[in-house]
Amino acid sequence: MRSSRKPLALLIAILAIFGVVAAACGGSKSDSDAKPDTSYDYASLSGTLNGSGATFPKAFYEESIAGFAGVAKGVTVNYNGVGSGQGKKDLAAGTSDWAGTDSLVADADKATFKGPFLYFPTVAAPITVSYNLSGVKTLNLSAATLAKIFSGSVTSWDDPAIAADNAGTTLPSTKITVAVRSDGSGTTSNFSKFLAAAAPDAFTLTAGDTVAWPSAQSAKGNAGVAAIVKSTNGSIGYVDLSDAVASGLTFASIGNKDGKFVQPTLEGASAALAGATINADLTYSALNASGADAYPITAGTYIIVYSSITSPTQASAIRGWINYVLTEGQTIAPDVDFAPLPTSLRDKAIAQIAQIQG
Amino acid sequence: MAIDQKDMAVTPGDRSGGDAASLLVASSGRRTDRLFRSVALVAGLLVLAILGLIAASTTHEAWPAFRSEGLSFVTSSTWIPAEGKFGALAFIYGTVLSSLLALVLAVPVSLGIALYANEAAPSRIRRPIIYVMDLLAAIPSVVYGLWGFIVLAPFLGPHVYAPINDAVGGWPVIGWFLNGSSGRSFMTAGIILAIMITPIITSLSREVIATVPRAQREAAYGMGATRWEMIRLAVLPWGRGGIVGAIMLGLGRAMGETIAVALVIGSQAGQITTHLFEAGDSMAAVIVNQFGEASGTHRAALVGLGVVLFLVTIIVNVSARSVVARFDRRAQGF
Amino acid sequence: MGADLDDLFVRAEDGELLLRGTTGRSRRIRNRLASIWMVGSVVVAVIPLALVIGYVLVKGIGQLTPDWFTKDLPAVTRRAGGGMGPAIVGTLLITGVAAAMSVPLGVLGAIYLHEYGGRGRLARLIRFMADVMTGVPSIVMGLFVYTIWTIAHGLSAFGGALALSCLMLPIIIRTTEEMLRLVPDELRQASYALGNRKWRTVVTVVLPAAFGGITSGVMLAVARAAGETAPLVFTIGAARNLNLSIFNGPTTALSVQIFGNAQTPFEAAQARAWGAALTLVAIVFILTILARVVSAGVARRHNA
Repeated sequence: MRSSRKPLALLIAILAIFGVVAAACGGSKSDSDAKPDTSYDYASLSGTLNGSGATFPKAFYEESIAGFAGVAKGVTVNYNGVGSGQGKKDLAAGTSDWAGTDSLVADADKATFKGPFLYFPTVAAPITVSYNLSGVKTLNLSAATLAKIFSGSVTSWDDPAIAADNAGTTLPSTKITVAVRSDGSGTTSNFSKFLAAAAPDAFTLTAGDTVAWPSAQSAKGNAGVAAIVKSTNGSIGYVDLSDAVASGLTFASIGNKDGKFVQPTLEGASAALAGATINADLTYSALNASGADAYPITAGTYIIVYSSITSPTQASAIRGWINYVLTEGQTIAPDVDFAPLPTSLRDKAIAQIAQIQG
Repeated sequence: MAIDQKDMAVTPGDRSGGDAASLLVASSGRRTDRLFRSVALVAGLLVLAILGLIAASTTHEAWPAFRSEGLSFVTSSTWIPAEGKFGALAFIYGTVLSSLLALVLAVPVSLGIALYANEAAPSRIRRPIIYVMDLLAAIPSVVYGLWGFIVLAPFLGPHVYAPINDAVGGWPVIGWFLNGSSGRSFMTAGIILAIMITPIITSLSREVIATVPRAQREAAYGMGATRWEMIRLAVLPWGRGGIVGAIMLGLGRAMGETIAVALVIGSQAGQITTHLFEAGDSMAAVIVNQFGEASGTHRAALVGLGVVLFLVTIIVNVSARSVVARFDRRAQGF
Repeated sequence: MGADLDDLFVRAEDGELLLRGTTGRSRRIRNRLASIWMVGSVVVAVIPLALVIGYVLVKGIGQLTPDWFTKDLPAVTRRAGGGMGPAIVGTLLITGVAAAMSVPLGVLGAIYLHEYGGRGRLARLIRFMADVMTGVPSIVMGLFVYTIWTIAHGLSAFGGALALSCLMLPIIIRTTEEMLRLVPDELRQASYALGNRKWRTVVTVVLPAAFGGITSGVMLAVARAAGETAPLVFTIGAARNLNLSIFNGPTTALSVQIFGNAQTPFEAAQARAWGAALTLVAIVFILTILARVVSAGVARRHNA
């Protein structure tokens, strides 16, 4: 299985790179900053790169680490899924070499870092609203209804608000069990920010890394929430697509800005990304994006590293690792239910690798 | 090992002693004796030192939370780390409720087993019972937690709690308690804890029951008592103090249990409810679930929960041991 | 039913036989109810034991391939493959170091209590506090070691071992003291009569006599420590690869792997949790049974 897929993935990557280079050359005749993947010398790299942070992209990083280990034998990359909040703290404290985060560093916290740092967008993915309700195979939820469920004002599955979104579906009177994250999390941040943006009247709580959900069972990590949903009839929770698919959960279709109910898919995420505005530091928000096919709870995720690294060997290893994530990694992403970056954004990210000094 | 080496090191010196040196040898022997005694004493004092250090170091670490929260640390049930609010009352409630549930379930079973094993079972059955209790006690709590999380809780929610809730959840009094339908709940935590403390209460009760003087039993039987009457008249009154002690030790163990409870109690903050089939949280479970991501005052508050837990279990254990000790003295004096 | 139930009871010096056919009907019923309660209790206790062991065996046995014992943990949690090698080694290493620290200290403490302290005030206090210390929740020990060790020295196997040794110390002290109590005073007096000093008597006469019992007690303490999870979560961290260093860097253990993998919804990860549970239960049962065998041997020797 694995051995047969890898050459294929490599082939796709090479073709993709050729495509990018050709497009860049054809378009402006200028030199592309993107380094061709084929010439990247992973084999000469060495060192250990400890990373920690978001659990949202954990599956993607784990797969990328496994792939990177195959080409860069001298480098050991670790990733500990401790939540975006802790990941940023670890990097600021210097106990890790790279952080995975779904949320940006707050201005107030920037001073705690040991120096200037860079955001590298890596992949994006829909955050599913997964549910477990026996007898109900499809479910539509508008942003307002979703906000009411998570704010605790809708507590039973046969509530009129849910029924209004699902004409023709028989809903049981089962009590709703809301499943949320116990740890500080970028997934929570993105999900609550979506609710605050799309249903400001119905959502009565304060959005952020942690939210004071009024009545909810909590668990660690996306996988923990998925575990509650999977085993509890009547439950609903927010889980990234990758973990939700791997756990065999059922997803609600969410009402987007155009009033359409959309299932969480990679295509829906790509549609949302297509309309997002990219900031100068390569950050962006694809939440509540417009577009008929756009899945409204689509979140990006970033790797943060320091731009100045004391050890040249370590700096080379970090550059190699990020390059791998942005090139070959992008072809692995759909395998674990993550949407690769749009080409334009990816090229900008690859170009930014050169800013890592050391 | 360490002792053997010391022994060997001194032996040559001992042997070399001729008559002239005998005085010297004797005094060096006494010195070794004193040294040995001191080393042993230090090892014994380590117990007191560790207990003192636990209290001091955890309180010190938790101080920022205690200072910012004050008394509301134990009187408020608002626990919102993001807003810096740390009221642990709901967790204290969860610890107490799940442990009491465990006692309600475990005490009759434990006493039944202890009485059966000591008073009624033929010897061919007695030994297997003791083995079963040993094995129950030996299974690590995380394994009970795993089973509770994957097997027991998903079964109990829809197949036991929900039907009970539908049947009697609306009734007065009973409905206050038998309410809710969450597989991971106070009740499930109580059940798992009951399984875990049953062997403890059983073996301690058996020790107590075994000290009942034979003469008392025979006197009861001699008056024509049935076995149950003998137990009630001769065994239980005699062992009451010790059995109470055993139950309290079981309570202490249940309150401190962490991993199994963390997996099955449901991790719902702020829950102070009489509804036994609803999710809640306990002090130990909150500590282990939130510690990894916590920092600053949040982390201090979690250590603070540990301090409260330490105090509570110390109080329970000291009272239990005092009861048992009083009983022991009586048993030995007889 | 009645006859079957009777088989489960000794035909005691019970007055029930005398009551047959006389007026004690309600007394007989009450006695019968009590019998049902007692047998029922045993049944109720056996059910969960059978269920837990059954599930662990059935769900865990498929994991135990040779790879399981030798390979590192897989990089991708949700995928099958890899092994549990680092966790098995971690559990053995951490409990081993914990035993190496707590056994000598515990035995010495017990020697003080029984051979020197006796019924004195200090010995009684230490004895009482050792009993109380056995009741300190393991998670509190974890927090304690976190505050005195981990904050300053980072995550390592040693932190976990320190926490476990704090849990083992009072158990070893109390069981060893019980064993020392079983050594007949005649042995000590005989040794004194030969001109041996007290310390020599203890080391060369009393300890060897109590050796079997102490070993058994130590094994039970080690078995209990090997299954502990809460004290390790804050102190040893999480490693995927084998780490044989005691002081440097995070490691992992079977119990921690069970706890982590249980809380995921992935088939492969949950299968790993069951496999780790089977491995851990096997280790703990072997220690427990060995302890029983050793103590049974001791009992035989005493009776002989």
